Amino acid sequence: MTHNPSPALSPLLSVRGLSKHFPVMSRGFRPKVTGVTKAVDDVSFDLAPGETLGLVGESGSGKTTTARCILRAIEPTAGQVLFRLPDGRTVDLASLSDRALKPLRQHAQMVFQDPFSSLNPRMTVGDIVGEPLVIHRLARGPELAERVAETLRRVGLKPEHRVRYPHAFSGGQRQRIGIARALIMRPSLIVCDEATSALDVTIQAQVLDLLKELQAEFRLTYLFVAHNLDVVRNFCDRVAVMRRGKIVELAPTARIFAAPEHPYTKLLLSAIPSSDPDVPMNFGVAEELAKLDR
Amino acid sequence: MPDPAELPLLEVENLSTGFFTEDGVVPAVDGVSFSLMRGRTLALVGESGSGKSVTAYSILRLIQPPGRITGGKILFRSARAGEIDLAALGEKSEALYKVRGGLISMIFQEPMTALSPVHSVGSQIAEAILLHRKVDKKEARRLTVEMLGQVGIAQAEMCFDQYPHELSGGMRQRVVIAMALVCRPELLIADESTTALDVTIQAQILGLIKTLQRGLGCSVLLITHDFGVVAQVADDVAVMHHGKIVEHGTVRAVLKNPQHAYTRALLEALPSRRVRVA
Repeated sequence: MTHNPSPALSPLLSVRGLSKHFPVMSRGFRPKVTGVTKAVDDVSFDLAPGETLGLVGESGSGKTTTARCILRAIEPTAGQVLFRLPDGRTVDLASLSDRALKPLRQHAQMVFQDPFSSLNPRMTVGDIVGEPLVIHRLARGPELAERVAETLRRVGLKPEHRVRYPHAFSGGQRQRIGIARALIMRPSLIVCDEATSALDVTIQAQVLDLLKELQAEFRLTYLFVAHNLDVVRNFCDRVAVMRRGKIVELAPTARIFAAPEHPYTKLLLSAIPSSDPDVPMNFGVAEELAKLDR
Repeated sequence: MPDPAELPLLEVENLSTGFFTEDGVVPAVDGVSFSLMRGRTLALVGESGSGKSVTAYSILRLIQPPGRITGGKILFRSARAGEIDLAALGEKSEALYKVRGGLISMIFQEPMTALSPVHSVGSQIAEAILLHRKVDKKEARRLTVEMLGQVGIAQAEMCFDQYPHELSGGMRQRVVIAMALVCRPELLIADESTTALDVTIQAQILGLIKTLQRGLGCSVLLITHDFGVVAQVADDVAVMHHGKIVEHGTVRAVLKNPQHAYTRALLEALPSRRVRVA
């Protein structure tokens, strides 16, 4: 690997005891809180600079909620999100006020799953990609236009595409627009939430290649939220497996796939249909999972 | 005369389906031919826009304007109704209504949109029975509950009166499968029917389709973009690209030794087969 993350480096991101609880309301005219859903339940991990950590799990496992809590897209219930800024200071993103947080948001960006709903259909591509710079007052006029053009070029689009609207682009191109919007802030951390899940395999491969190139060039750190374990195996340095709000196993990618330790990880891996007809899959995995819970 | 059991259940010959737009005709399916034997599973695989779903919709004559079948035959050799050219049936013919849901049924991708939110799941399944079989409501209810049990729903009697929003994604997909199979179709078309599900639920649903297929002896046409699903479930595979079938063969032959450049490119793009990009 070209960007071998050294364990000696202090982490870019340290998540400690992160929790997000949602109240469960009773039905009826006057709903009462009858319990809590622990969407994220005491999650801790470190992310080294230049590393790619895969966060995998089934729907409802809490992987997306974890990612959103880290970026304060939603408010965590408890825990710390220690983030090292480019100037060397470390801040707790979870406890900062909105006002104190805003100037720091440029350093941690997000790429969303759905390239159709995450781009405003009424804005041109140039406006979409340039908007973060405008909001943070980092560039205007010719400089803004120049940076938008440069970023579009870097993600494999043409600068003249900036006058077009999102509907004129394919799914893969739209995902490149989403990546450009994140990249233009020169962040140190990018959270990719199912960023390639909606794409065809050939397009998915191209977007993953692009993300890898950008990582090497800009020394990016990725938190890669995904449900497709094959993609994670190919793309991530380490993998955290989540179930019911908790990380059940966190290990280097090769070890997770070659020698998974947690029974849930083993079952999850056995359910992946292999494209090799000689590698049988486990059709009975759901029953075995139920046994696991008993 | 050859034994009808030895002829393919479904024989698609030179099928073309086009969409008539202001900018000209878009040939979504362009001269496609394939056949499916009784009891076997054929996978139509391809990327989005390759024409695999349009092929499936053409078979059930579900193509809406501006789309239209522009040529070819879709021969369906039913054990119950004899040989029918589905492409030649009238839009609103009695025969077509008999085919849909009776002789051929379809499982759609999104179980939430395939089910009506304002009818109980049981009544939706029973509706299919009442349309295709001469039974009374009580018997339809009994058959529905029996089918719900067959697709692995534990409290089938209770499930009959539940609404789709009360069920999980995997349960809804079971209901859709129950609805598709309750009239004992000879051909089941599954259009990306496990794509939206988690892998563990997908494994369960695929296993269920395999088991029920064996029990009922029906053929399955599997529409998917996932070569994993193809390898684990299908007997034969046809690879579609730009409205044409570029390669056709047994799963083992195509996946182990692809002949066409496009098939090879598709297989190489699979994350599980790619060399690590780092």
